[in-house]
Amino acid sequence: MAADLRSVVHKTWRTIASVETGVVLLILVVILSAVGTIILQRPVTRPDEMQSAYSPFVLQILDAVGLTDVFHSWWFLGIVFLVSLCIVATSIDRFPNRWRYFSRPYKVPDDSFRRALHLQKSLPLITREGGPGAVEEYGLLAAERALQAKGYNPEKVARPDQAGVFAERHRISELAVFIVHSSLLLIFLGTIVDGLWGWRGTLTLNEGQSSNVVEMRDGKTRTLPFSIRCDATGQESYADGTTRKLWSRLTVVQAGQDVQKKEIVVNDPLLSSGVRFYQSRYGANGKVERLMLAAIPTDGSGLKQEIGLALNDVASLDADTAVRFAEFFPDYAIRDGQVVLKSNELLNPAAHLVVTSKKASKDFDVWLLQSGKVADNSTVPWKFQIAGLKVGHYTGLEVSYEPGQWCVWSGAVLMGIGLAFVFYVVHTRFWVLLLRDSKTGKLVLWIGGSANRNRDAFEIRFNEIVAAIENELKPAISSALEGAARYGR
Amino acid sequence: MAWPKHEQRKPAGGLTLIAMVGLAIAFLLYMAFLNVVKSGNLLSETNLLYATLIFYAGAGALYMGFGVTGTASYVKFASFATWLGLIANTAAIAHRWHDAGHPPFTSIYEMLLSSVWALAVLTLIAEKKFGVKVIGTVTMPLAIIGVFFMQLLRTEVHPLVPLLQSTWLSVHVALAVLAYAACALSFALAMMFLIQDHMKTETILAISSASTLAIYAGTVLTCFEKWGGVSLVVSNPDRKAEIFLSQALRFSIPIPVLGWSIMLASLVVATPLLCYFLARWRRSDSFLTLAHRAVFFSILLQTMTLIVLLVHVSGSRSHLPTAGGLFPGALTTSPFILAGLVAGILISLLFLLLVWRRPDLERLLPTADTLDRITYKTICLAFPLLTLTIATGAYWANQTWGSYWSWDPKETWAAITWLVYALYLHMRITVGWRGRRAAYFAIAGFAVVIFTFFGVTYLLPGLHAFS
Repeated sequence: MAADLRSVVHKTWRTIASVETGVVLLILVVILSAVGTIILQRPVTRPDEMQSAYSPFVLQILDAVGLTDVFHSWWFLGIVFLVSLCIVATSIDRFPNRWRYFSRPYKVPDDSFRRALHLQKSLPLITREGGPGAVEEYGLLAAERALQAKGYNPEKVARPDQAGVFAERHRISELAVFIVHSSLLLIFLGTIVDGLWGWRGTLTLNEGQSSNVVEMRDGKTRTLPFSIRCDATGQESYADGTTRKLWSRLTVVQAGQDVQKKEIVVNDPLLSSGVRFYQSRYGANGKVERLMLAAIPTDGSGLKQEIGLALNDVASLDADTAVRFAEFFPDYAIRDGQVVLKSNELLNPAAHLVVTSKKASKDFDVWLLQSGKVADNSTVPWKFQIAGLKVGHYTGLEVSYEPGQWCVWSGAVLMGIGLAFVFYVVHTRFWVLLLRDSKTGKLVLWIGGSANRNRDAFEIRFNEIVAAIENELKPAISSALEGAARYGR
Repeated sequence: MAWPKHEQRKPAGGLTLIAMVGLAIAFLLYMAFLNVVKSGNLLSETNLLYATLIFYAGAGALYMGFGVTGTASYVKFASFATWLGLIANTAAIAHRWHDAGHPPFTSIYEMLLSSVWALAVLTLIAEKKFGVKVIGTVTMPLAIIGVFFMQLLRTEVHPLVPLLQSTWLSVHVALAVLAYAACALSFALAMMFLIQDHMKTETILAISSASTLAIYAGTVLTCFEKWGGVSLVVSNPDRKAEIFLSQALRFSIPIPVLGWSIMLASLVVATPLLCYFLARWRRSDSFLTLAHRAVFFSILLQTMTLIVLLVHVSGSRSHLPTAGGLFPGALTTSPFILAGLVAGILISLLFLLLVWRRPDLERLLPTADTLDRITYKTICLAFPLLTLTIATGAYWANQTWGSYWSWDPKETWAAITWLVYALYLHMRITVGWRGRRAAYFAIAGFAVVIFTFFGVTYLLPGLHAFS
């Protein structure tokens, strides 16, 4: 029973830690993501569009399966989780081997390794018969010098049975793949942190208004520990009417103190205690700041006057008459003889004035309309015209809090570094050994080389190194030959 | 194999084609010059693009000539013409950059301008550094189509909306252009690998027939109407833009004739595929002869469909009371049908080239092993570039929308592309896929790239509305 369990655990582990499982999972992610871009997704589509795109029955099925919100469905997150699990398991499974490879370089290749090695070469060494073993020494020395000249840092390997030289470069390349995979996990971790603790909302502020209540997507609100005040906001346009710039001057207010000021534009948000405020929308808020009026006495006796009024301001026109700015509609309609608000856009403004006359001891309602009539103004002692209008604007801010984003960015940077190592940093190794040729019994200098990638370029370098060693050997060989000739004579 | 093993031909001097192309270039430039004298404006963007087109077309003709005859001297002149085209192309980019005041990356037109440039540069690199001389046979026609396509798009300089006023724009898009160009190169190399790997011509025939069919199916499905009509999106000539009936619904005209001729062409395009299966089932080569005839016939029909499209685009007008007036259909607003037809014809032509000159091609191309290795290396270049494209895009999105990832279709498809190439690398490095299977993967990867670049922009709704 216990053995069964162990084999089940073992099999499960082998399945999770296999590249094949990872590949199948990634293919699933690819297919499901593609589906998520083809079927309309609830979070970014208006409900009425969803209803017009699919029949109620189809929509019900899609909703039930979660296909209308693929990227937040439990099964999609589950598969991404399995991918992470697979990456972790594969890494754990392979790491010990790689680490051994990394931490204990293989310096003296044995017979079977040498036989299987793709790149190798044997250079003959001529020894003085009966002379001292200086040439053998010289063979290794020549290899060391040639490798040094090519920028390697060779080390002598002396074992009782075998003398040789080993040189390598960029051993770290063997671990690069772990860097890439851990960077991917770091990015996943960041997105998980943001998914759990991050949030997004909007904040709409009129000029001069301050608030600390952010509206969330789901209609709930979130109260910030500080307030944001919009000091000013505006829009600049190109000659053809397209928007050139949207800006807002924001102030962070904490405990009644202005602690931070910044003019934000699109692409340049305000950051305060980890919360970011992005310029998103801009528009008229339907409120009037100042109404400029031209007033002329009806009987033609007095002079034309220009007055500026804010809402509910009162101005006296002469000793007898005063005017109050009572109501303002940025866009009006007349319904049943009443002026009603149509929209908050400054399209068709209407102003309601109340003119008080002491003599007549009466209040007159004066409506300044572009068309239509709701009251008889013939007895009013003054006539009014709108000479100018200054209306208020709002700024629409996107607010987001993403505590995990630094994790994501460091993951991205780490991935860049990892990929650079994976693709462009090659682990190259050279072995030089003194061997006796098994057939002839003569002494040879055996040179082997290997690279973990980009092998065709390495072959060229290998041949260069072999040539360099041959070059270094020449004087020694010729002197040996001379010596042998002298000895023979 | 039904083909002669090796056909030795006497290497011709090839002066005729060079002289003809040279004369054609000189003539076209002269015509352009007359026009310039009349307008008095030499270095306008249109003129520079025109010069680019002429030189690229000349290069393309010579590369094709090289592909067909294997005359070595063609390549020298072809790369010379490519160099000249590249200079004109660079000047056009510089002109645009100066006029607009920002790097040319903000609309599909500007993206094409840069991509064609990158493609020409990569062609020259592949030729000079890796010795893949015949690559121009595939890439230069692509560049020509790109320049043609540009003439159809809105070219006026738009002021940058606030969203695009960011240094990240240039970084993000430059990386994307480079990455996509590297993917295109890996695709071309993988195709050549299949030729060098002695893939049977009839198999290539079946594949090219199937992919053309897929292109038509994809094209037609996007604009299919009742009764076999294909609808063209209507353009408002004053604003040079499509008219929207509602947020995602464009106003379009159904053209039955076009629908029927595309269907007929598809049927003939499908014939070689059918013949291939029949030939395998019946083990008879006579079906293959029929298949080759069908390829000829399909080219004729596809060209006819193209003409029908061009005639009907300007000819048909549709009345839309709410917008007030008659509006013509336009290639600009539904570029898919045009791109589909041109791609279909190009695939069939390239197949014919292969049928006629396979032994020559095999002689000219590097060995299968080399091609396999260069394909892998190009993807090793493309993958980090794709990674950086996504990373810079995410960083920019975070600066603008307050979120580094919002599952917008373009983002999602960029991630899908990245995953597909990641799969390729895993299959190659860990599982040890080489040769054929790796080549299929590289080809599929490029299909995904194409969809991410064009398909997402035109077919799927999203935040990346500008490119």
